[in-house]
Amino acid sequence: MAIRTILEFPDPRLRTVAEPVATVDDDVRTLIDDMFETMYDASGIGLAATQINVHQRIVTMDLSEENNQPMVFINPDVEVLDEQPHSYQEGCLSVPGFYEEVTRPQQVRIRALNRDGEAFELVADELLAVCIQHEIDHLDGKLFVDHISPLKRNRIRSKLEKKHKQEAAHR
Amino acid sequence: MASIDTNRNAAQSTETLTNIRALAAQSLAPLIRHQGSLKTLLPGALARCPERDRALLQQLCYGVMRYHPQLSLLSRKLLKKPFASKDYDLLVLLWSGLYQLEHMRIAPHAAISETVAGARVLGKEWATGLLNAVLRRYQREHETLKAALAEKPAFRYNHPDWFVQKLQHNWPEHWQQILNENNASAPMTLRVNARQHSRERYLQQLHDAGIEAHACQFAAEGIQLAQPCDVGTLPGFADGTVSVQDEAAQLSAELLALQPDQRLLDACAAPGGKLCHALEQQPDLEAIAIELEQSRAGRIRDNLARLQLDAEVKIADAALQDWWDGRPFERILVDAPCSATGVIRRNPDICFLRKGEDIATLSDIQLAVLSNCWQMLAPGGRLVYATCSIFPQENERLIARFLKQVGDASHQPIVADWGIERPLGRQLMPQPDGHDGFYYCVLTKNMCSDEKHVF
Repeated sequence: MAIRTILEFPDPRLRTVAEPVATVDDDVRTLIDDMFETMYDASGIGLAATQINVHQRIVTMDLSEENNQPMVFINPDVEVLDEQPHSYQEGCLSVPGFYEEVTRPQQVRIRALNRDGEAFELVADELLAVCIQHEIDHLDGKLFVDHISPLKRNRIRSKLEKKHKQEAAHR
Repeated sequence: MASIDTNRNAAQSTETLTNIRALAAQSLAPLIRHQGSLKTLLPGALARCPERDRALLQQLCYGVMRYHPQLSLLSRKLLKKPFASKDYDLLVLLWSGLYQLEHMRIAPHAAISETVAGARVLGKEWATGLLNAVLRRYQREHETLKAALAEKPAFRYNHPDWFVQKLQHNWPEHWQQILNENNASAPMTLRVNARQHSRERYLQQLHDAGIEAHACQFAAEGIQLAQPCDVGTLPGFADGTVSVQDEAAQLSAELLALQPDQRLLDACAAPGGKLCHALEQQPDLEAIAIELEQSRAGRIRDNLARLQLDAEVKIADAALQDWWDGRPFERILVDAPCSATGVIRRNPDICFLRKGEDIATLSDIQLAVLSNCWQMLAPGGRLVYATCSIFPQENERLIARFLKQVGDASHQPIVADWGIERPLGRQLMPQPDGHDGFYYCVLTKNMCSDEKHVF
């Protein structure tokens, strides 16, 4: 197991569209273990493989406070069940330090494979619905900042670019 | 309806009166002294009224209050000196005479003689000559008198000056429509109990009973009657098949987005219409209704019993938590105490009873109730804020004040085909032959108040 590096906006690699997983094998399961370790280490509740520069359609998640309810979604897909817009202050491990209100459909049905490659489905609302839509965005090369105004997005971009420059100088 | 009755009626005579003008005058005089409202005073008056004259009594009382701004300007012009407060019954009697002459199809000589005779019944024989002279002068000079007052906004729009000004300021595009609607009468609207009947089936039953009605435009269970009627004549009313509820008030249940087994709090619940509607839609709720006044809580229990629904009703203050067991609610409806300025056509005495400065006081109460209820909402939970007010001070601006105070609330825009979208929530204006004035806003509580999620 290993903690991987999380890419940060505006890194162009975050714009890659991920490929579906063909077979859920031990390599995939090792990757999933790394994703959980990386996610828990960064105090995140969800992580898409895209964020650690692996462009396969895999999402890990744990919404519990005790970090004891890990969930894996392989090749996830959502169907909107309730279009009523729901707003949430989203934050992202790839956009550290910024939180913005994003509006998404309130309720969705998730279809995915589990870590044994078995298909399952789940009706999601509230935080789970927000999180899975956010993660599937990552797999499609999108970020939550794409849902906010260009003005806010550019402000976040320049602040993060400045932070990255400072980090590079101290390395 | 969440209006505040500030006064209870004083001790009243119980003797039957056959002069209906005198009975109306005696019954409304306390209201003019700011003791009671139409809602609190009318039941006593109706009890003293012979059954055949009840419709007339009701029309006189509502009519006098509906046209109060115009009638009081006219009486001021017609009287050399104003009546003393002990003679407010005579003042109301005079207004009822003017109202009959102006708005009712009663032969003028009969209207005047019955009204003058009313003074005798009230034991104020001395005023008969005065009333007779004043009413006859109005009959002769009403054109000139009205023309002289036509420029005054209070007369022209039949609303107090403060109200017209505040409305023009707040709703530059809608104020005239609102004033027109306030002067009209409201339709009678029903809510079909979804657990018993479909709306289509009940419409058929009404049709078979010879009651003309049509489906409401926005409320899924709403039916509007062509003519108001006594609830006793509605098929299945006693068995809980239908309830009387305005269409705007029927929009709350859907906004609550109820799921089975949730804990629902209805703060300021009386008379319980929205609570019952929520339970009709989702019976598997643990519902708690609180209401400040014992008598109004009784009406919630009556409605629950008639509709065979289950909820715990507590006498408690929605601005306090002394009644709460500490278990959070997933859903909360805050139908806040308000100016009721969206339902003036149903309660025409509101304009008389309210003063401009009341709105600020009310909004402080609303903020206290909302802030208190927010603390009882579970993370991820949903709160629907509602008023029957048309003033932004009690509605969108109140929500803006609230959002500045708390860090864990998200405003959820309401997507709907009714009302006007506002920066926060949606405002409904009273509609010709349609719903009342109302306001709704949906807020959700973020999952973690101090810690934000990253993913």
